[in-house]
Amino acid sequence: MTEVGVEERKLKVRKIKRTRREAKYKHYPVVEDHSTAAQEYWEPIVNTGLWAIKGYQILKGPCGGGTVEEALKREPKEFMVIDRAAFALYSHSYGLVSPFFRGLLEGKLKGTKCPKCGATYCPPRAHCWNPKCRVADCEWVDLPLTGVIHTFTVQCLAAAPFEHQLPFSMGWVKIDGADTTLAMMFHIPPRELFIGQKVKIKFVPKEQRKGDLTDCYAVAVPGQKVPKWACLQKDPEKLESLEASMKQTIQFIKKRYGIDNSPEVRGW
Amino acid sequence: MARDEKVAICNGGIFRPDLWHGENAEEGVATAYQDLLKNVPNLTADDIDALCMSYFSDHLNGQLCMGWIIQDYLGLHNKPGYRVESGGSTSIDAIVNAYYMIKSGMFDVILIPGWEWMCEVSVAATNEMIASAADTDWDFPVGGYYNAFYAALEVRHMQLYGETCEDLGKIAVKNHNNSTHWPYSQWVSQHGTAPITLDDYWKNRLVCWPYRVLNCALMSEGACVLLMATESKARRFTDTPMWITGVGLGTDSMRPGDRTADFAYEGMKDEAKIYPDFVDPIKTPYPDMANFASLHIAAKRAYPQAGITNPLKELDLVELFAPYDGVELALYEDMMLCPRGEGKTLIREGVVEYGGECPSNLSGGLTASGHPVGATSLYYTLFLYWQLAGKIKEKCGPNGLQVPDARKALITGHGGTGCQGAVVTFESE
Ligand SMILES: [Zn+2]
Repeated sequence: MTEVGVEERKLKVRKIKRTRREAKYKHYPVVEDHSTAAQEYWEPIVNTGLWAIKGYQILKGPCGGGTVEEALKREPKEFMVIDRAAFALYSHSYGLVSPFFRGLLEGKLKGTKCPKCGATYCPPRAHCWNPKCRVADCEWVDLPLTGVIHTFTVQCLAAAPFEHQLPFSMGWVKIDGADTTLAMMFHIPPRELFIGQKVKIKFVPKEQRKGDLTDCYAVAVPGQKVPKWACLQKDPEKLESLEASMKQTIQFIKKRYGIDNSPEVRGW
Repeated sequence: MARDEKVAICNGGIFRPDLWHGENAEEGVATAYQDLLKNVPNLTADDIDALCMSYFSDHLNGQLCMGWIIQDYLGLHNKPGYRVESGGSTSIDAIVNAYYMIKSGMFDVILIPGWEWMCEVSVAATNEMIASAADTDWDFPVGGYYNAFYAALEVRHMQLYGETCEDLGKIAVKNHNNSTHWPYSQWVSQHGTAPITLDDYWKNRLVCWPYRVLNCALMSEGACVLLMATESKARRFTDTPMWITGVGLGTDSMRPGDRTADFAYEGMKDEAKIYPDFVDPIKTPYPDMANFASLHIAAKRAYPQAGITNPLKELDLVELFAPYDGVELALYEDMMLCPRGEGKTLIREGVVEYGGECPSNLSGGLTASGHPVGATSLYYTLFLYWQLAGKIKEKCGPNGLQVPDARKALITGHGGTGCQGAVVTFESE
């Protein structure tokens, strides 16, 4: 593309007016709309042209079949590598389990219960998956904001949108009264984490809630002793090496994002 | 009514997995196909009845219907062909589908081209696109890339059955060092052939506790083709056919967190009693978030077909699809090489090392040798083909890890967190 062509394209992009979000299917009038930010974020990207080639590089390196050794011995070739950015904005329905996510906005946890086998689901299922129940319709039940850690991990490496929160632990919690387990973030120091730990479910401040699972997180019920059998405790070396990695991660995040995620500042 | 004739893997061709290739996917597949044509000089396009295309993602390359490009690029676009896709299961599923196609009696000879070009987008973006194979409403939004899912599964297994980080380190060292004997390995391309030690493992960067970089599958680009045929046709292409003796498929819940009330598997295994007493009881004790019911039931379906009753004794080697090393350990159990909870003893006692009773992942596997999803299980099936044909030294050089007189082998593959899995057993003549 010539210089002029590039300029013309830029102008064209600028001239496009902000468009109103198109209405969805006529049978579904909008009842509430919290999508402006997404729309504003998205529009300029879409208007640059989804499949437009944005740039290129020339790389030089091995080619051809055979073993690594054979390939490296061959005369290297030059390859042209183009940059393309293709996206879409998906409008996806939470379906019949939407009440769960609306519950999060209100700081509540809801589950569903099968009227036939009595299984209680959180994450909720609109229909029971027990083969004996023939996909029975489930009923909504309110669940307490307490549960037990079923399993966990501590992340020291992640990509956007989670990277700036590193290091953090997350895992699956069996909400009291439920038979399945729900994934969520933990605000618990890894040194104190164990399977079987009793937790309370907390919510971020109301104005920050988005109606997804990042609205809630688990904290430890105070006063619990970390048992000797806990897999992180059985071997002190493991715990030390984990904590050393976490320290490195905290420094990395400080440097990259200017955010201090050390436990003294964050509180967990 | 399935046809009676046996089905064989007749040979294959390889375009090695690597972090990046100048060639694009169709050129990589063509290079692998060239390799097959070299290995089977009398194979012509007329011999091929149909193609079964194996590739996982449309996102990674922004190209739908990549299979059509491949078929036309190889000049095989006048043949019946279709794509198989099931996440990480894709490439083993392609083998299973080709097997069904031949067993149906409709086709005699099938070509499986498999590939994946995973590095056109950034590693972070690839991780994110792969994570969209998990439940994007429930698991992905809370920090859940597969690193985290699998790490949490391993923590549960570790807590229930007592393996240690060192056991995971030993598996990593075993697989990386095996990989240095496979001259097509991505590890070799990136890091050379020097062996690694447990000390290197402890210094390696932690990703998601307990997994370090060395415990996790690689991002790869690469291609592989396999040729499959009926017994009568196979003889034209190979003197050393590798017979498929058993095929099993299984699926499990999308969300691993639902496996505490996994009713479809209720009663399959009465294992509540082997739970340690400090763990709260759950609705269904198997698979929990610790083992892989999809793969266990796949093995239970495949073994009787193959007449296998004592897998540890009867199998000469196994290639276990392990994107994370704890999966390999859990699969020792789910493949019934040992009872549930005893996977750790197989790595501690050297049973799964080269020279052991049942070596596992002599190829190096996904964490060391490469994991271009649509080609992955094809590579390691081809590796088994060379093993059972006694051709490892010929293919890999004097350092190749040939299992002497290998006759029976197994490969597993799965997608998601074991949401879908397959087991295929093989036997030489
Ligand atoms: Zn039910």
